[in-house]
Amino acid sequence: MNNFIFGRYIPGESLIHKMSPQAKLLLCFAFVIIIFFANNWLTYGVLALSMIMIVLLTGISILFFIKGIRPLIWLIIFTVVIQILFTESSNPWWQWGPLSISAHSLITGGYIFMRFLLIIMISTVLTLTTTPLGIADGVQTLLKPLKKLRFPVDTLALMLSIALRFVPTLMDEMESIMNAQRSRGVDFGSGSIKQRIQSAIPLLVPLFSGAITHAENLSTAMDARGFVDSEHRTKYRVYGWKKIDALAVLAFVAIFAIVLLIRN
Amino acid sequence: MKRKRTNTFRFSMLAMFIAIIFLQTSIPMIGYIPIGPLEITIIQVTVVVATMLMGIKDGAIIGGVWGLITFIRAFAWPTSPMAALVFVNPVVSILPRILIAVVAGYTFKAMINMIKNETTRLAIAAILGSLTNTVLVLGLIYIFYRSNAPQLYQVNVKELLPYLLGVVGTNGIPEAIFSGVVTPLIVIPLQKAFKAKLAK
Repeated sequence: MNNFIFGRYIPGESLIHKMSPQAKLLLCFAFVIIIFFANNWLTYGVLALSMIMIVLLTGISILFFIKGIRPLIWLIIFTVVIQILFTESSNPWWQWGPLSISAHSLITGGYIFMRFLLIIMISTVLTLTTTPLGIADGVQTLLKPLKKLRFPVDTLALMLSIALRFVPTLMDEMESIMNAQRSRGVDFGSGSIKQRIQSAIPLLVPLFSGAITHAENLSTAMDARGFVDSEHRTKYRVYGWKKIDALAVLAFVAIFAIVLLIRN
Repeated sequence: MKRKRTNTFRFSMLAMFIAIIFLQTSIPMIGYIPIGPLEITIIQVTVVVATMLMGIKDGAIIGGVWGLITFIRAFAWPTSPMAALVFVNPVVSILPRILIAVVAGYTFKAMINMIKNETTRLAIAAILGSLTNTVLVLGLIYIFYRSNAPQLYQVNVKELLPYLLGVVGTNGIPEAIFSGVVTPLIVIPLQKAFKAKLAK
């Protein structure tokens, strides 16, 4: 199972945990943009160093990060190898048709490896230190300006949190459905193409029908409580802008300035 | 004070379909079917089912959520080298998925008088919806990466273009066939079972 949002959150008390989700989301995007500006070994060095600092600040064992990257390592290597082989250059060391290896292609391959690693690391930091609901809240806060354009930000955010809340429920139901079909002799993930397609149908129909039943019950419950969607809603947890967020933004501005100064 | 009533059923249906999309993008068995070296996605079936049950606008929202997840995943947790290279462009990752619902919904409506058999109509709408995704992803990759525009990973996508298009193309045909076979088998029983509620 390759969960990328669910079940990755690790509770903690570190400075990064204490930051508000909207600040973390924003800085995550900012970091990806800063990586875009890096173009020599010095800039990548600065970024790698800041990444190591961030990872240390989370207070989460490095093992969790390695676990996060391991399933992706082949993909990264594959992309890097393709990049090395397909980069054209004037004096290749080895050439066969369109494929070639040169000093230039090896260097760009190395850069791409670093980019992949840094982007995956920063997003892993986000998902390891923020709950899915926190992320949904952060998205809501960041999208607030769109309200001026009559975009239903609050509705979308509430829908997102309901969806997140029902993911584990639906996942449990999935397990039950799969076990029920297995006990009837359905063999998942093997057999001919026709058999595989056939095995998907007894899985999807009950899943959808269960989801619609949930929707029915939920809407009855909402109607009974007089739910009105445009009304202002209060929250159990309120994430305000904190001092630590401002400090983090300052740190990122500093990193960006250094990268801009030493890039080619 | 008179309060505007909210259609809570539509609201919760959308939330449930978003939850299903979340599940499908993170669990292989129900989101992707591995066939040999290929991995065909079946998430477009969910988008078409949503379109048929709730209408084009809601189907488009579900498609948009799928696109958004693809877009974010391309950075954080790419599923394939191709995803990491091309889906970092939001136009390539989001637009085709929204248009699945639009194309499938309108073909279904347009054929009401031509084809009486609902199963056939659903199958054709689903196949066209699935092909919309494939053709648009292919077309947009071609448009965006033909020139050497600045890209996130500096990979020379221009050289890779024929290979990328080959991969997407070979996935697209089984995906379309799968959608055509499976969608009617899912939509018709669901429409029967939840007729009263869905008609509202």
